[in-house]
Amino acid sequence: MAINISNAKNRDAVVAAEGLAPKREVRYVDKHGRPVTSRKLLKSDVSHDLPELLKKRKKLESVANALIKGDPEIDIEQFGMFLTDTSRVYVSKKGIVHLVEEFEVIKNPDGTVRDRRPRKKEPQNMNSEIPLRWTGKFIKKEDAINRFVFTNKKQLVHVNGLTFDFLFDMAKILDKKDSLLLIRGGEKGSDPVVMNRGGKPYNAFLEGRVKGDSYCLILHLSNMELKKPKEIEKE
Amino acid sequence: MAKPLILSLDGNEFSVSLVKIDRERLYGAIEIEAFDEKGNEASLKVLAADGQTLIDKGGTSLTTVSEDGASVSRTELTAVDMDGEEIEQVPSSFAQPNVLSQATNEDYLAQIVKSVYLLQPFEGEKLDFLHDHLAGSKIYTFPFSYRGGVDYDSAFLVGGKTDAFMIVGKQAELQFVKLNQSAVLDSVEEEEISADDLDFDLL
Repeated sequence: MAINISNAKNRDAVVAAEGLAPKREVRYVDKHGRPVTSRKLLKSDVSHDLPELLKKRKKLESVANALIKGDPEIDIEQFGMFLTDTSRVYVSKKGIVHLVEEFEVIKNPDGTVRDRRPRKKEPQNMNSEIPLRWTGKFIKKEDAINRFVFTNKKQLVHVNGLTFDFLFDMAKILDKKDSLLLIRGGEKGSDPVVMNRGGKPYNAFLEGRVKGDSYCLILHLSNMELKKPKEIEKE
Repeated sequence: MAKPLILSLDGNEFSVSLVKIDRERLYGAIEIEAFDEKGNEASLKVLAADGQTLIDKGGTSLTTVSEDGASVSRTELTAVDMDGEEIEQVPSSFAQPNVLSQATNEDYLAQIVKSVYLLQPFEGEKLDFLHDHLAGSKIYTFPFSYRGGVDYDSAFLVGGKTDAFMIVGKQAELQFVKLNQSAVLDSVEEEEISADDLDFDLL
């Protein structure tokens, strides 16, 4: 994934933002020691689900009798087949629909509805014309650790010699300050970071570490504070 | 009642219960409603590659297959590391006391977070000793596995005078990159800010 980001001098560059993997990887092998893989398969489709069976037989009792007598819920030819290249589609009673109107129903933690509004899919701002901004707002590491949950993270990596210097200098500044830097998006530099169109907005913080002539720049993404839910607070 | 998790810090043992916290419990949730052009309710389904088979929630399943495509039962599987060595199963962390050791900010920040728990005293026990230690911006860690399995996660305890949280995840493989390790692609005023200035209710 590419990220367009600016530095303390307001110079910007497009570099790579790579996902982070856990240190230790676990693999599974069969009884002969040969590797195995996971595959997705079809268990049941809509035309064999209960609502469809009910449409044909009207009563649950009739469905139950049909299930005892035969296998109307199973398509022997299809079920069990491996699924590849699936896509997600909207379906109404008219079939697959290509044009839908979406609404967001915002619910409070107690399940009550707070708001209902047309869905707005914000564009991504990780790699747009406007670079993510070095806001110059630093937060001490221990303060950030005790206040936010970093639910996602990416490592920034240079793509050529010029961007090596660019990122190395950023990491050096952050390493020296021993703080995280708030990163913002948008024209005014006030928006949270959105990685994909319509994706989750995150508060983003940049951490830099330097070891000799190498660096490590981590973009910590947070959409959650570290705090007690209100319902527990009340107790 | 759920079994307590026993933590041991500087020789002091205390029992805690875990309360899972997520975004929904803190801020609520967003549900999407969709309608076609005639106002009929529409729902998301999975469409198979044949362009005809529609699959509802629960209509798919994961299976494990061998190299030649035959289904393999889970009981026949062995977990191995990258060198092919069999991995010993680890017990559940609820089965024995867990000794806490101090961690650095950097250790904590290298974690890929999976779950967050609030620690609550188990059956009237006091957590003052732990809170006092955490209040000094200290972080503690221990290997954690909820049910036991092939691998431990890392658990970090953070918090302050009144609350303690346990953040569970896996340590990320951070790489210090040099000039020759480039990736292939597909002036501001400095100021200290307060954590209170940030809005997390991003719904």
